[in-house]
Amino acid sequence: MMAHVLRRALRSLWENLSLNLVATAVISAATLLAGVYLAVMVNLTGVVDSWDRDVHISAYFFSDVPVDRRFAVKDELGARPEVAEVHYVSEQEAAAWLVDKVQDVEPVLAELGPEVLPSSLEITMADEANGPAQIAAFIDTIDYAEFEVIDYGQEWVQRFNTFLALLQVMGVVLGSLIFTAAVFLVGNTMHLVVYARKQELETMKLVGATWTFISLPFLLEGALQGLVGSGVALLGVYGLHRLLVFQLQDALQLAIGGEALSFLSWPACTGLLSAGVFLGVVGCLVSVHRFWRAAP
Amino acid sequence: MIRLYHVHKRYGDHEALVDVSVQVSKGEFAYVTGPSGAGKSTLLKLLYGAERPTSGKLLVGGVDASKLNQRQLPFLRRNIGVVFQDFKLIENRTVEDNVGLALEVLGTERGDIQRRVRAVLNVVGLKGKEGRLPLELSGGEQQRVAVARAIVNDPAVLLADEPTGNLDGAMAIEVMEILMAVNLRGTTVLVATHDAGLMERFPHRGLRFEGGRLVRS
Ligand SMILES: Nc1ncnc2c1ncn2[C@@H]1O[C@H](COP(=O)(O)OP(=O)(O)OP(=O)(O)O)[C@@H](O)[C@H]1O
Ligand SMILES: [Mg+2]
Repeated sequence: MMAHVLRRALRSLWENLSLNLVATAVISAATLLAGVYLAVMVNLTGVVDSWDRDVHISAYFFSDVPVDRRFAVKDELGARPEVAEVHYVSEQEAAAWLVDKVQDVEPVLAELGPEVLPSSLEITMADEANGPAQIAAFIDTIDYAEFEVIDYGQEWVQRFNTFLALLQVMGVVLGSLIFTAAVFLVGNTMHLVVYARKQELETMKLVGATWTFISLPFLLEGALQGLVGSGVALLGVYGLHRLLVFQLQDALQLAIGGEALSFLSWPACTGLLSAGVFLGVVGCLVSVHRFWRAAP
Repeated sequence: MIRLYHVHKRYGDHEALVDVSVQVSKGEFAYVTGPSGAGKSTLLKLLYGAERPTSGKLLVGGVDASKLNQRQLPFLRRNIGVVFQDFKLIENRTVEDNVGLALEVLGTERGDIQRRVRAVLNVVGLKGKEGRLPLELSGGEQQRVAVARAIVNDPAVLLADEPTGNLDGAMAIEVMEILMAVNLRGTTVLVATHDAGLMERFPHRGLRFEGGRLVRS
């Protein structure tokens, strides 16, 4: 029975190769879109997480504040209960950090002089004082005249999170639309495959074939389309990923802080493959079932 | 083998069959006759489950064919062979594959299929044509392939809707002779036809329909 099903599925694939390729391409396109979207989301979420993890306040000194005064301020702030840690970054350390992060910046820095970047205090908040409102309140209390600029990423992170949430909603809405469209397209393509085999299927029904017997090869055909389609799409996403990593290496290091772009996780990959298989199977079964009910 | 009780079949407001009650015994050979539009094909469609009666009851080989759902239908059909005027062969499959299909759907093993298909092709006189495609055969030969497919799984009932309608004299007689041979093996055979010449040559019981009513049986 299984050998028979396999034989018929392969024959159907072969005899309607171009239609099967169309169905496979549709699945491939749909899962490619989903894959790119997922990869973008994974990386954007990763960026936010890495920011969130070290939300810290950078307070930049005017360059004429004497060094012992800087350490005095550091100690005062370090004594505050909301503060977990204060780290002093000298002009030299700031320059070294930049040189380390950005290739080819060294000659530029040398030109501008070693003290072009200001010294600063990097203040890390205690976990219980890490909320956006608490940070804002804290900043209001540290208006030392020694600070030129006080900078913190929280507001940014907040906005970015809102943006991500929006992107997620859009992803779900667009994703469902694309998925429905794909089922429809695959269904209609498979309808042509079924139609090409109308004579054979009708005869089979006439001589007493069961629904299982008729549909199993199509199920297999759909699963194969889905697997190949989503497999190709995954390769495509991976190719894009490599290309971006290669092209954007330097910029990324600056933005994300040294971590490379991450690719889809294994669960996401298997999820995409299963979605492709599901698409193919549903598309095929829908059209065979339509035929089965209408046939005499 | 075949029993109908007060069977009605309506298409919209057109009555294709009106209050038909009749019985055909096991091993019998009967014609279904009448003018065009009398309801001959409709009767056969009810018997092989392609249509359901609007009301009434019909039994085929003990199976109630009036209330079958799509899931039960295959099991009715495995006991019924059907032959059509236009043969309904699969054009891109060989004679052997066409006939074997009726066994394939039962899950019969390949070797077994081949053996039985060859045997039945012998019965219908197509020995040596196993590898041909239908369109490489004459009309009479194609119809004999269709008969072979209908009887290869030894059904209790053989239904034929104008089996000789597309064939000229000699070929029609060949096919009729094969149907009689099938009947002699114990199969109940029902042939819808309006070929008076054939019925004269091979006299059997006739169920005559007019305007959907059974007027003589
Ligand atoms: N699917 C259908 N929908 C509507 N009317 C139908 C349908 N099938 C058959 N009829 C009508 O039912 C009547 C009986 O049709 P049927 O095909 O049984 O006639 P018949 O005796 O086989 O005729 P013929 O000798 O021309 O084959 C006809 O008037 C036909 O128009
Ligand atoms: Mg008819």
